[in-house]
Amino acid sequence: MSVDAAAFQTFREKAGQLRTSAVPAAVPSDVRVDRAKTVFKRRLDAGQATYLETCIHCGMCAEACHFYEATGHGRYTPIYKVDLLRRYYRRELAPMGWLRRLVMRDITAKDLEDWQELVYDSCTQCGRCDMICPMGIHISPMIGIMREALAEAGLQPIEQRALAKEINEQGTLLGIGPGTYQAVAAELRGRGVEVPLDKPRADVMVLMNAMDAAVFKDAIAATARIMNRLGLDWTIRTGAGDAAAFDWTSGDERTHARMTRRIIEDAAAAGAKTVIVPECGHGYAALRWGGANVYGQPLPFEVMAISEFVGREVQAGRLKVKKVAASRSVTYHDPCKVGRWSGVLDEPRQALAAIGIEVREMESHAKTNYCCGGGGGVFLNERAAKLRQGAFRIKMKEADATGAASVVTACGHCRMTFMAGAQQANWPTPIESLVELVAENLAE
Amino acid sequence: MRTQQTLGEVLAARGVSRRGFMKFCASTASLMALPPAMIPRIAAALENAKRPSVIWLPFQECTGCTESITRSHAPTLEGLIFDTISLDYQHTIMAAAGARAEEARHEAMKANFGEYILAVDGSIPMKDKAFSCIAGESNYDIFIEAVKGAKAIVAIGTCAAFGGIPMAKPNPTGAASVQDVLNEAGLQKPIINISGCPPIPTAITGVLAQYLTFGELPELDHLGRPKAFFGQNIHDRCYRRPFYERGEFAESFDDEGAKKGWCLYKLGCKGPVTYNACATIKWNNGAGFPIEGGHGCLGCAEPGFWDWGGFYRPLSQGDWGDWKTLGIAAAAGAALGIASVAVSRVKQARARQEKS
Amino acid sequence: MTLLEFARGPGLQGALLIFSLGVAWRLVGTFLLARNRDLAQPKGTSTVKAGVRAMIMRSIPPHELEKRITFQHITGYAWHLGFFAVLLFFGPHVPFFKQFLGFGWPYLPNTAVMVLGAFTLAILVALLVRRMLHPVLKQISTFDDYLSVVLVILPLLTGFLSYSHVQPLDVRYEVLLAVHLLSVEALLVWFPFGKLMHLFYAFPSRYQVGAAMQRKGVQA
Repeated sequence: MSVDAAAFQTFREKAGQLRTSAVPAAVPSDVRVDRAKTVFKRRLDAGQATYLETCIHCGMCAEACHFYEATGHGRYTPIYKVDLLRRYYRRELAPMGWLRRLVMRDITAKDLEDWQELVYDSCTQCGRCDMICPMGIHISPMIGIMREALAEAGLQPIEQRALAKEINEQGTLLGIGPGTYQAVAAELRGRGVEVPLDKPRADVMVLMNAMDAAVFKDAIAATARIMNRLGLDWTIRTGAGDAAAFDWTSGDERTHARMTRRIIEDAAAAGAKTVIVPECGHGYAALRWGGANVYGQPLPFEVMAISEFVGREVQAGRLKVKKVAASRSVTYHDPCKVGRWSGVLDEPRQALAAIGIEVREMESHAKTNYCCGGGGGVFLNERAAKLRQGAFRIKMKEADATGAASVVTACGHCRMTFMAGAQQANWPTPIESLVELVAENLAE
Repeated sequence: MRTQQTLGEVLAARGVSRRGFMKFCASTASLMALPPAMIPRIAAALENAKRPSVIWLPFQECTGCTESITRSHAPTLEGLIFDTISLDYQHTIMAAAGARAEEARHEAMKANFGEYILAVDGSIPMKDKAFSCIAGESNYDIFIEAVKGAKAIVAIGTCAAFGGIPMAKPNPTGAASVQDVLNEAGLQKPIINISGCPPIPTAITGVLAQYLTFGELPELDHLGRPKAFFGQNIHDRCYRRPFYERGEFAESFDDEGAKKGWCLYKLGCKGPVTYNACATIKWNNGAGFPIEGGHGCLGCAEPGFWDWGGFYRPLSQGDWGDWKTLGIAAAAGAALGIASVAVSRVKQARARQEKS
Repeated sequence: MTLLEFARGPGLQGALLIFSLGVAWRLVGTFLLARNRDLAQPKGTSTVKAGVRAMIMRSIPPHELEKRITFQHITGYAWHLGFFAVLLFFGPHVPFFKQFLGFGWPYLPNTAVMVLGAFTLAILVALLVRRMLHPVLKQISTFDDYLSVVLVILPLLTGFLSYSHVQPLDVRYEVLLAVHLLSVEALLVWFPFGKLMHLFYAFPSRYQVGAAMQRKGVQA
């Protein structure tokens, strides 16, 4: 498999243009605070209250955060990133609120502006801080609340706003849409890989993934080959919309709810029993954990990540694979949203073991892995480029320490982050896709 | 009663040898922590001392202080010294009684006006002065009259010094100490408080000896007690201190620890907060003191000791209330919590509804 | 009323009342707030077991995380253990608890308690200094953080002074003991209003994160 370097370059240029095409949100600053507070008011509950009450300001969460580790700046302390939420809670929902109001300042518009960097640039919502907190505080979902609050106040990163506008008005992501998929399907058919698009009904529905269509067509081909080999009744329905949940990461809850509902209704209409999210971390996490809550009822189908699906099928013996010709060692990078956030930790490794690839684990792997640095929309956020590169260096060091020849992952976004980071740092280690590796080694 | 014989003449007449007398002066000096150079001065002063008049007024008291001072199992020099002050009025040991006794008192006060020492034991009731009277006169009136001609006042025992047992809650008689009564009446006189329930006998005689020698009050602590006897607390001089240090405590009377003579802190000993000479001078001519007998110090030389929560309540315990009161407080807190939750839930419900 | 009589009487009563009222207020006011419902299909089963496990195992983080927090991790638990050892197993303290509970328990020799207390105090002071100098802690520390640690240090410090009967500036024992009791009462009074409440919140919070992650198929 090879990655089209030119396609990657084009994609990055298009992403870079987002800044120029975006229009700043027209939310007056006196309204900003109200809007943010309304989000806090809606989202806080007893569980979050417990978390906010129990913080002892020990600072250990910072020691798990790659952005703090890379910079040494105290303001990137994870629990500090949700400080505005804490202040709102303490002053307006918590017991003894009237006492707090005497000594604690209210949130201001300037606070919201200052927190943009903390919540969007120096956080990928990777959840590593959740693993270290001795008080058991679940910080990462609260970052989501902060993002929703800032987005509602018109302060999400400019690139995210541009993407949301495009999705809402044109139904495409960086120009990629149903048309692109039709072109890709045609191309792959030419290569002998059948990609059934827009079947009216199917058991398994695989979602579109803009990154794959633009840069990683081989991942689409690999998915198709695996589905076809399994003999499944499957389809990709272009009317369902893209898996990539940029709206979720930016906190644009309105757009996200619309896009999610579209996927669910379309899958239900197609009678799908399983919806598979291709290699995309946020897409999987958003649908798997947020879908039912947007829908207002349990989903009528199972949601799986492609890496999860492949691992399961290999373990069950339904997907027959062969061992790689020449033995080699890789290290596996767990995409945060698929691994730590969603529990898909064993399946990818089972798949790699089945095709005879030795996995040399990084010191922090599986549920304690380091984020690639580009998740949560950070990859597209130009303002955060320096921070992202600093975080990426941690990843490079860990990978190098394993002595593995390449890094394998199961998320297009992580893949692009690795590619961009490697380019900038002149790092020679290649990044590979799990689904492509498995598809290359299907039994005859 | 006239006081013409000097103390030296009286002692000689009683057959006290010069050596015996000097020994007494030496032990008095050391008791009062005075240097040996002072001994000749004490001897000279005592020998030539005119027998001062002492008028002893008994108020709301149990007579324990008198018992303590006069209790001796063998004739002692302290007893002789007592013979050589002119004790012109003392209910328990004076020969006269009734109107003749009162007459003796008035005569002594008149003859020695401005010179007599006023010894007081027992507290003075202030709620209704009629609660304690002698020959139809209230304690308060007797005291105020006697104070006028006194050179100094010696408040003997915790009742006179601090109010003592009659002052214990709820203090039905309105018992007051000598100092309290003076303050209330706007009067001023030098006072020495010799507290204790009762005080150690040698504390009295030592203080008197010093006063006779130097004509001035000994060094007093912040409660007006002579530092020579009340300057250190029991805990610092207690022979069981090493057990406290090691953490070996008796848990109940007659248990293993008690039998081994361990520290009595947990049995309510108030040694750490009590200042007296019991641990060094001891009682009954040095036979022992309460802790040696296996019972914790009651703190009887301190003000308010009777209201410290009980003799057997250790210092680390207090009057914390009860579970019922704490339960009510918790219920009140819970109610406040529910109120806050109600407000927040309504707020949140409204916001969630507005969205949909 | 002397200082000691106040500390052993109204002071103690008042502090306990404020403590009871405040703790109840805060806990009820938090735990009874509305709870969000999660309609997503869970992955892992027995979230209760996972929650209980997290309550304990959060004290032992994985090595790759622990190696960056070792100093704080070890000293943090060390001083807590030392503090509770002194509080519960010093001879004269046992009657203090006995008056509430009706029963006592065996206690440590004084030398052991003094050594533990000294270590605890040293660690607390070291961590206080660290809080004032470390970039993360400087950023996130509030008045509550500083007050809480001072209120924990004072009982230990005054305990030492009153036990050893040290006479700095010629202060009498009954005053030292009163100050020691008052420092404990100050701690009780501040307790419901600050971060010391983590005593009550930490285990529910750990349970929550254990259960929440188990729902998603991850062991917290």
